[in-house]
Amino acid sequence: MLLEARIRHRFRGFALDVELASDGPVLGVFGASGSGKTTLLMALAGGLRPDEGHIVVSGHALCRRPGGVCLPPERRRLAVVMQDALLFPNRSVRGNLAYAPGASARLEGPEGRRILEVLRLAPLLERGAGHLSGGERQRVALGRALLAAPELLLLDEPTSALDAELARDVLALLLQLKRELAVRMVFVTHRTAELLALADDCVVLEGGRIAAQGPPLEVVQRPRALGVASLLGVDNLLRLRVLGHDEEGGVSLLELAPGTALAAPLCHAEPGDRVAIGFYADEVLLCRERPAGLSARNALAGVVTRLTPIGYEVLVELGVGKETLRARLTPAAARELRLEPGSPAVAVLKTASVHLLGGPNEG
Amino acid sequence: MLNDAEREVVLLSLRVAGLAVAASLLPGVLLGWVLARWQHPLRPLLHGVLMLPLVLPPVVTGYLLLWLLGRSRPLGRAWHELSGGHIAYTTAACVIAAAVVGFPLLVEAIRLAMLGVDRRLELVSRSLGRGRLATFLRVTLPLALPGLLAGAVLSFARALGEFGATIVLAGNVEGETRTIPIAVYTLLNVRGGEAAVLRLTLVSVALALAALLGSFWLSARQRLREVA
Repeated sequence: MLLEARIRHRFRGFALDVELASDGPVLGVFGASGSGKTTLLMALAGGLRPDEGHIVVSGHALCRRPGGVCLPPERRRLAVVMQDALLFPNRSVRGNLAYAPGASARLEGPEGRRILEVLRLAPLLERGAGHLSGGERQRVALGRALLAAPELLLLDEPTSALDAELARDVLALLLQLKRELAVRMVFVTHRTAELLALADDCVVLEGGRIAAQGPPLEVVQRPRALGVASLLGVDNLLRLRVLGHDEEGGVSLLELAPGTALAAPLCHAEPGDRVAIGFYADEVLLCRERPAGLSARNALAGVVTRLTPIGYEVLVELGVGKETLRARLTPAAARELRLEPGSPAVAVLKTASVHLLGGPNEG
Repeated sequence: MLNDAEREVVLLSLRVAGLAVAASLLPGVLLGWVLARWQHPLRPLLHGVLMLPLVLPPVVTGYLLLWLLGRSRPLGRAWHELSGGHIAYTTAACVIAAAVVGFPLLVEAIRLAMLGVDRRLELVSRSLGRGRLATFLRVTLPLALPGLLAGAVLSFARALGEFGATIVLAGNVEGETRTIPIAVYTLLNVRGGEAAVLRLTLVSVALALAALLGSFWLSARQRLREVA
């Protein structure tokens, strides 16, 4: 077990209350600003003494409060890498790399050479810490942390402070470190792409609590809570009234607009109650007219209200009653269907693409 | 330019100020660090007490020192045990008076310099395996050094110019406690002393200006460190 932690901490009107266990080897902590992810990281690193805490890393107890010992950061063997590298400005790159006890020796050995190779640090060794680009600083910070031979790396938003290209580079480096040097990590992020690329296991933090846990792909594809869904960029989030259930057919019918029902997976809400649902724009098909003989249970007629080119795709907004549905199409498809504001269109959606979301009042 | 007596006065002043700053460094660093990092409701009180010599009239400070260290006081008696004499009217008294009035400038500069060191740097250092003391010596102190030196130079300049506390505690003993300000004051009351006063004034201004410029340059270096 890489990490087991139960932490409760109150801090200036904010309360963190989490319990998690993970084998990693790379655990992602996902959340928006203010969700508590930095507080969690600080508690793990030892920069903060939680009101109540029980933290075990690779079988070593790091903290047990109240009533037990809470190790200071220097005894925890968890090296921290911050968003903005935080190199020691009065030292050279070599001085930074060799900072940890024993790092100097490691730097000269085979392990050090490997790290220098992977992180491409050899040409930078004699430079001053103030004479490096953003990407170089991040690489030095990683090297410095690895040369401390920690049990695991704690990374605080490793690519947030970098531009897209640099972020990709650093992400690739982290993957390389994971695969080639078997580095174990706990990293904090608010970027879904980072989470999916790097993490083997993840937790989603919201308002100081864990809203979801599991393999990242599963958490992202099947978001279980409204907060998590909006966090992960689920494009369609709706709160609709339940019309009825078709138990045999395996669907619950929700009122999208007067006369238009949306088929969602079977749920337990009473007719008349509202439920929150979400679905991705990628999973919505558009047709000029209602198709026949389709397996999908949803063919929702509406009117195109807006087309927005985004990168290599087009985001189409379709008005159905008072609600707006979003679909992502290729420009070729939008052209072929001759879609423009005011055109009628039918949105096709599988029941399975619709995710029932627990809202604030539900689990 | 200066005659023998005047040269002796200048050298005494430099010696006294130098010793005063040297003696203040360790307490200054410790207290500066406490003021920068200690989170406690009593901290403002400590800060206030340490700043007092800056705002109290120097003669009052001198009197307080006399009250603390006079021959009838416990500390004064302890000094007598150690050195066989009494502290008042000695060079040591000059050093103490100079150190006390210069201390607020030193400790405040150190406090500000340490506040300017990013606490996350200290966390990173500790997460890499260096303990509190090692982190202080390898990260905090080196990064605060220019500010610390700026404060030292400023308190040196203040010590050079100290009059009120010195005259109360150390008196006006030729060769022992007649520093530049006291010599100037003495000479003003002597017929024909104006020329000597002028010479000493020029030296005083030159030293003070050099100290101030040095202090500004060092402060600028400190600010650069905080940006990197």
